[in-house]
Amino acid sequence: MTAATIIQSLASGLLMGLLYGLIAVGLALIFGLMDVTNFAHGEFLMLAMYGAFFMFAFFAIDPLLAAPLVAAGMFVFGAVIYLLVVRFAMRAKANIGMVQIFTTFGLAILIRGLAQFFFTPDYRSIPTSWLGGKTVSLGGIFLPVPQLVGALISLAAFGALYFFIKKTDFGRALEATREDAGAVALVGIDKNKVFALGWGLGSALVGLAGVVMAMFFYIYPDVGASFALIAYVTVALGGFGSVFGAFAGGIIVGLVEATTALIMPPSLKSVGIYAVYLLVVFIRPRGLFGSI
Amino acid sequence: MTISRRNVLLGGAASAALLPLAAARAQTSEVVIGVIYPLSGASAQIGVDAQKAFETAADIINKNYDFDLPMAKGEGFSGLGGAKVRLVFADHQADPQKGRAEAERLITQEKVCAIVGSYQSAVAVTVSQICERYQIPFISADNSSPSLHRRGLKFYFRAAPHDEMFSTAMFDFFDAMKKKGQKIETLALFHEDTIFGTDSANAQLKLAADRGYKIVADIKYRANSPSLTAEVQQLKAANADVLMPSSYTTDGILLIKTMGELGYKANAIVAQDAGFSEKALYDAVGDKIPGVISRGSFSLDLAAKRPMVAKINDMYKERSGKDFNDYSSRQFMGLIVMADAINRAKSTDGEKIRDALVATDMPGEVTIMPWKRVKFDEMGQNNDADPVLLQYTGGKFVTVFPPQGAVAEATWPMK
Repeated sequence: MTAATIIQSLASGLLMGLLYGLIAVGLALIFGLMDVTNFAHGEFLMLAMYGAFFMFAFFAIDPLLAAPLVAAGMFVFGAVIYLLVVRFAMRAKANIGMVQIFTTFGLAILIRGLAQFFFTPDYRSIPTSWLGGKTVSLGGIFLPVPQLVGALISLAAFGALYFFIKKTDFGRALEATREDAGAVALVGIDKNKVFALGWGLGSALVGLAGVVMAMFFYIYPDVGASFALIAYVTVALGGFGSVFGAFAGGIIVGLVEATTALIMPPSLKSVGIYAVYLLVVFIRPRGLFGSI
Repeated sequence: MTISRRNVLLGGAASAALLPLAAARAQTSEVVIGVIYPLSGASAQIGVDAQKAFETAADIINKNYDFDLPMAKGEGFSGLGGAKVRLVFADHQADPQKGRAEAERLITQEKVCAIVGSYQSAVAVTVSQICERYQIPFISADNSSPSLHRRGLKFYFRAAPHDEMFSTAMFDFFDAMKKKGQKIETLALFHEDTIFGTDSANAQLKLAADRGYKIVADIKYRANSPSLTAEVQQLKAANADVLMPSSYTTDGILLIKTMGELGYKANAIVAQDAGFSEKALYDAVGDKIPGVISRGSFSLDLAAKRPMVAKINDMYKERSGKDFNDYSSRQFMGLIVMADAINRAKSTDGEKIRDALVATDMPGEVTIMPWKRVKFDEMGQNNDADPVLLQYTGGKFVTVFPPQGAVAEATWPMK
């Protein structure tokens, strides 16, 4: 094992980790806000990938340009899903935890089924995007441009989210609702609006991740599943309720995955992720940066 | 109500009217065959395309066509009074447990008399076990794991080649290329971690050892991985003379994309079909791998010798929008072979169909495949199903090996 191999692994792991982080942040945001785990998160990712694909296929819009459009579209989609589906699931009188699990899980199956029906199960990809297939080489270390730009988008999106939560009125309302949804009603904040905003933001973030992925990954109706699983682990590892934790968790997962693949047979590379996850949960059950 | 004479007469007339109908139905009852494929999930497109291949075969069985193909002439099963075939499709979602449950449902609820499947070898394992228990014949139309027919099952049959036969063809090809002066010494295996990839790699490891090739990388990876960076890095470091992937479509696409990203250009790729015989893979990354070679059991080149191949391909293309590939052609033949046996058995009884399958001896010329013939050995394997090697050039596959089937010389190395 040469130094170049190790650096290449860590660099690839970091780029992948930033993307995992971007996928997980939306999940963590919604969970932190209203204690709802969105089991359709992977399907949201898949829809965004198709969004980028169709923009390219029908209007020849490059994924880079499509990113804000898809993110905006996903924002509306997420908010609508909250208002039309999740809001009602939250009104259950008994077993509210189970009801919300089944609601979002059912939503996932429905979206996947509809995607297979309307988009067909064929594998798609965007063959000629501006960045697709380009690679920069630094002293024998190869960094694929789509992932590199994806990492930058991921950092920027996280920075913007952080600023939004800490510095704007909406962000403060978001934080307050998270602290105590009952009390904010007393000061005139509409809980539903804040929740819808949370779903919109969370979906827009995973939407961005989807566009980035569409530049280098294949697209088909089930593509969300494997990424969603990593996102759940990431959120649990980083700490439930912590947006920062989810982002840091993503980077850790990416690095651990790359390192495991270096020292163990590649078919066992996810073992490393789950081992670290178990270790963290064992020592610190609320996750690394968890507040609950 | 009193029973009048008139009522009795009426009832008698009614039953008399119904009688011939009932008798006729008993005679020309339909033949129900279960078809079990992944219709949702990661391999759903394979299942959807397979459905079209089976429908094409059913069409040829049920209607009258002038093809020199068993079951084509005349309508339906002549051995069963012209009964028509009806297919019942089941979705196993690439999950062996779901396959098991669906096979059981097909047999007990849908009353199928035979089952054809299943794309993934891992699913064929469980489905064929259920078939064995209920004594229902099962044909592996397109499963290629060698271990499948070696389990001593009585009701398991495979008309197509298995991976050892395919791999042998690859190594025969390497030997031939070496004789021509090409340098082929080192091989890198890249295979997914279910029964297909594992069996394929085991066959290749053994052949490499027997024939003196050096395996410089043997990488087993997790199917449907989100990233293959680490794997490709190891392949790149090994830089073998030939890269031999055994991957389904999704992993195949990601492999080629990641190779491009990490600046690894393989000297030559000789693939164990699966993803590498799929149009979707070439649509996605075909421009990056001109000259990739995949094994196959079918080639459209054959249409030059057997015109019916082109005609049947057109029928399939009309349904699916695609040409026959390695999979759809084998699926098509799977149903034809099964229907031919049922026809000769003159019965839908599992045991009788099995006896007819055992007695099968179908010359290669009356199939759409480059096979010598279809004749099953005592383990249900057809050893006369000759594989071919196909090279992807100019946007399509041409046969490059064996010499008797080749229409072009192989371009080597591929880049």
